[in-house]
Amino acid sequence: MQTSSEDRIRIADAAFPKPFNGGLEFNAPAHGTWNIVHIGFKIPRAHQIYICADNCMRGVVMTAAEMGELNRFSSVILEEDDMVFAGRLEESTIEGVTDVLNSLPELPPVVIVFPVCVHKFMGCDINFIYDELSKRFPDVKFVRGFMDPVMQKRGTTPDQRLRKAMFDIIPEGEKDGSVTVIGCDMPLAKDNDIRKLLEAQGVTVRDEASCETLEDYYALGNCSSVICSYPAGLLGTTAFCKRIGRPMVYMPFTFDYDAIDEALGQIGVVPVFNGRVSCDRAVAGLKTLLGDNEIALDYTAVPRPLSLARFLISNGFNLKRIYLDAIDPDEKEDFDWLVSNAPDTMLCATMHVKGRRQGKSDSDKKVLAIGQKAAWFEGTEYFVNIIEGGGLYGYAGIKAFIKLMEDAFIVPKDTEDIIPRKGLGCACVL
Amino acid sequence: MKKAYKILPVYTGDVSGFASALYELGGMLVIHDPSGCNSTYNTHDEVRWYKQEALIYISGLNDIDAITGNDDKFINDIVRACEDMQPKFIALANSPLPYLNGTDFKGISKIVEDRTGLPCFYVQTNAMHDYTKGASEAFLAFAKKMLKPSDKKIEGGINILGSTPLDHVNTEFVIPEGKTVVSNWAYKTSLEDVLKAPQAELNLVVSSTGLAVAEYMKTEFGIPYELMGSYLDCKREKSRNYIVGEPIISGYIAAQIKKRYGTDYNVIATTEITDGLLSVCDIKCHGEDEIRSALSDAEIIIGDPMFELISPKTAKFIKLPHFAMSGRLYRKEIPDLMRLEDYYNEP
Repeated sequence: MQTSSEDRIRIADAAFPKPFNGGLEFNAPAHGTWNIVHIGFKIPRAHQIYICADNCMRGVVMTAAEMGELNRFSSVILEEDDMVFAGRLEESTIEGVTDVLNSLPELPPVVIVFPVCVHKFMGCDINFIYDELSKRFPDVKFVRGFMDPVMQKRGTTPDQRLRKAMFDIIPEGEKDGSVTVIGCDMPLAKDNDIRKLLEAQGVTVRDEASCETLEDYYALGNCSSVICSYPAGLLGTTAFCKRIGRPMVYMPFTFDYDAIDEALGQIGVVPVFNGRVSCDRAVAGLKTLLGDNEIALDYTAVPRPLSLARFLISNGFNLKRIYLDAIDPDEKEDFDWLVSNAPDTMLCATMHVKGRRQGKSDSDKKVLAIGQKAAWFEGTEYFVNIIEGGGLYGYAGIKAFIKLMEDAFIVPKDTEDIIPRKGLGCACVL
Repeated sequence: MKKAYKILPVYTGDVSGFASALYELGGMLVIHDPSGCNSTYNTHDEVRWYKQEALIYISGLNDIDAITGNDDKFINDIVRACEDMQPKFIALANSPLPYLNGTDFKGISKIVEDRTGLPCFYVQTNAMHDYTKGASEAFLAFAKKMLKPSDKKIEGGINILGSTPLDHVNTEFVIPEGKTVVSNWAYKTSLEDVLKAPQAELNLVVSSTGLAVAEYMKTEFGIPYELMGSYLDCKREKSRNYIVGEPIISGYIAAQIKKRYGTDYNVIATTEITDGLLSVCDIKCHGEDEIRSALSDAEIIIGDPMFELISPKTAKFIKLPHFAMSGRLYRKEIPDLMRLEDYYNEP
């Protein structure tokens, strides 16, 4: 199957896992997903320092400003002369970071340094930079961040590598029988079967996204096993588990009952006995409410959007459009199911140039969107405001998700006010 | 160290300035960049993105294309997008990696123009300057490419040059009696109006982003220009009261205060374009340390609230939010700069 040059395509005609051609890219005004600044601030007391050009700096520094975290953020600005003279880039980086750290009221225990595309492109000696900084500031743990989006189309993304670098500083501790959940930016919700069922068995659950102190963060390495709950965290979690010698289970939020049972079994818990039945009951209630109103969802809402699509369609909902630009290869089975059972479901690119003029649904009824991007493209005020699955998992998670859909369908939201805000769930002073 | 910013944000960058300047003119604006420029721009530097259409895209440059200098993909993508979106013109902007590898944007513009039949021009940016530079270059490049001389003159007609939401998001310019606005460059405007600019008799420059195009129109079309409020005619004395920010706007406010209250304020210009825009008592500063040092003896400071972070605690600080500095943080508090009484009370 060929990739499509159009902005939308029937799933039956779509290439897997990349349905759309590359080209000029549009950016929709929905910014609830987390960027590297939000992610970096998950390490309590960490200070972030970016070394880049003005225009690149603007996005990250204003992210910190809107979080009210400018006192944990500093910048070193690169100018033309840094690019011209051999060795200048290393010097500017080292001296800039040194100057920043020396001027802070207190030396932070952890500093995340972010070189950028230019450092890579110029063949900058990154190891030398970190070695020198570690010599100058032996009491500081330096985390090797990178803001190099030029690399992200062919390999790992900056946020995947940042997560790995953040996990690299977690020390290996004594096994204390606890389970560490790691990799997702959303704290474990109360409706999360991982937490509920483990804690019911007396197992301590440590959640990377909920660490309030640096000691909490370092204690993530005291676990006996690790759960990765989000695809972007998989690279870092795998390396972390290998380094500290702990088993890992990958458990992204899925809507597949069998997959839930299997995953819960892997972590040694038994699903609640009426989980499936209670979910089916909740689905029936939602179906009564929604009727044949159209639904659209996007890839930022949950880690397994095609699993959600399959769940909705197999339960008789009128899911029309799925907004995504690529498909997680792990979703091949759900993709194939949708091709066979719902071939007319449309895949819609979010970055295609035509996205600027995205047409709204022809339906004269309410459209329920799941995710911020879907809300914008559909032009609807009825949407589930969620990213990364919202910290939900299992049957409790599915029931909570259905409740979110019900609420979203009944109560309109101020889409224009909500979705341009960055980092859903983070502090925001706007 | 001049390059280190311990707490102060940087101004909106030149690439965003480029996009803001040409936003409403119906062109396709393409930033040759891997990622991030468009998101930064439309999140922090643009108030129109949610509701008002503008064809602003990034190229999504990847490492291999950057290293091998593969311009074909860039060109082909632009041509294909033009077929889909039918813009009135095409403007290209640069970013650090294409700048480093010496991408021939003028050559690319020529090829794109030949293949699409649309006017195409390059705006010199590299992401290493502030918005005034990018917007200024954008207005100038647009004028050179798109404006044609006109025999027709509109009596009392003026062009407002340098008006973007980055500087003037809530400003309603006061037009002298008997004058008519021919064009506004380029906020709440249209391509049709802007193309009439050569028919005006006078250019009014309302920020440093409009200065270069004013000089160009003076040379090419014989249109004289004035700086907003002719603020340089107002003599001000050395003072420890400061207005921090863009030089024309700061100079205009300083002159208004002097005229109304007799109080002297000196301008600390913190954006890049300042030549010919400062009085003898004013200074230009670059970087957090220089600005902090310049403010160290201040008694009163007027400026964006971000500057309060590096101001002496003994100084009285009067907040005057500037969208190109604090972005959305104080968006709702940005005043109409023509209405001094809304943001300044004589202490």
